[in-house]
Amino acid sequence: MTTAEATARGEAQAVRACWSCRGPVPARERFCPTCGLVQEPVAGDHFARLDLEPRFDIDATDVERRYFALQRQFHPDRFAARSAKEKALSLRHATALNEAYKVLKDPLGRAEHLLSLAGRPVRADGAETVSDPELLMEAMELRERLSEAAAAAAVDALLAETRANSAALERKLGHAFAAGDFAAAQKLALRLRYAAKLIDEARERRRRFDR
Amino acid sequence: MAYSEKLIDHYENPRNVGSLDKGDTSVGTGLVGAPACGDVMKLQIKVGADGIIEDAKFKTFGCGSAIASSSLVTEWVKGKTIDEAEKIKNTEIAQHLALPPVKIHCSVLAEDAIKAAIADFRTKRDGKA
Repeated sequence: MTTAEATARGEAQAVRACWSCRGPVPARERFCPTCGLVQEPVAGDHFARLDLEPRFDIDATDVERRYFALQRQFHPDRFAARSAKEKALSLRHATALNEAYKVLKDPLGRAEHLLSLAGRPVRADGAETVSDPELLMEAMELRERLSEAAAAAAVDALLAETRANSAALERKLGHAFAAGDFAAAQKLALRLRYAAKLIDEARERRRRFDR
Repeated sequence: MAYSEKLIDHYENPRNVGSLDKGDTSVGTGLVGAPACGDVMKLQIKVGADGIIEDAKFKTFGCGSAIASSSLVTEWVKGKTIDEAEKIKNTEIAQHLALPPVKIHCSVLAEDAIKAAIADFRTKRDGKA
């Protein structure tokens, strides 16, 4: 675990005071151990929201199981007879869980989230410009190939290639994160972002052929 | 969201789409991308012996605002010296096209693209000398 990660985890483990009884609540607890009332959700860390360790290689079935189990705890029916404050907090938990699940089940989302937890975000407010010439030239060529594709079969071939490329990038991301090599992970995540965009565009173009 | 007429015009009738010969020493190529969306923008300039930009072309795979921003920049830089073209600010692009706040990064991309094209041209020119 890197320093940045350790710090992020350390913050998540701090103790706060229950908004209702003022008793101590470890930051990751969703309910006050003293009075049992629902607390603020953990800020920022999607892994913590699902009680997961921050890592790239995850078991998708396990993540899904955790998500549904937690989501049941915050179902509106359970809070129907509760105070407005508790209703609002439970809703924030439900929203935070949805967001965490959405981000973590997607490999690109997971990679970008891990990088931002490590203090190395892929993008700074979307305003940063990529200038990796190799990546950009490749992206330009592939997008040109897509725009020139005359038949559905050509789009399918490009889709198959890009999906294989994404799978290879995901494997490499797993190794980079496991080795704590965030610089490599950053580059790989950016490549995965471009591959994801190409897949989106190719699917859109494929739909137009089908019409 | 309501987009401005100028933006829609540049998006629907983009100016100067295409490519210039990358190998030509009077051509500078700027290739930039947006990490947030996976877009890619290529902007090329052809510079005369007097330092004036004679021609400009672009190819952008991205959203309408990115296409309009790069189209506008190719129009603006033609007839300017490279020193003048280098001074184009993303805020001018954003203002002219009335880009909504979430699309400001598209104008940043266009500014970075023209700067990269000029830098590439200078490298080529100075390398040649």
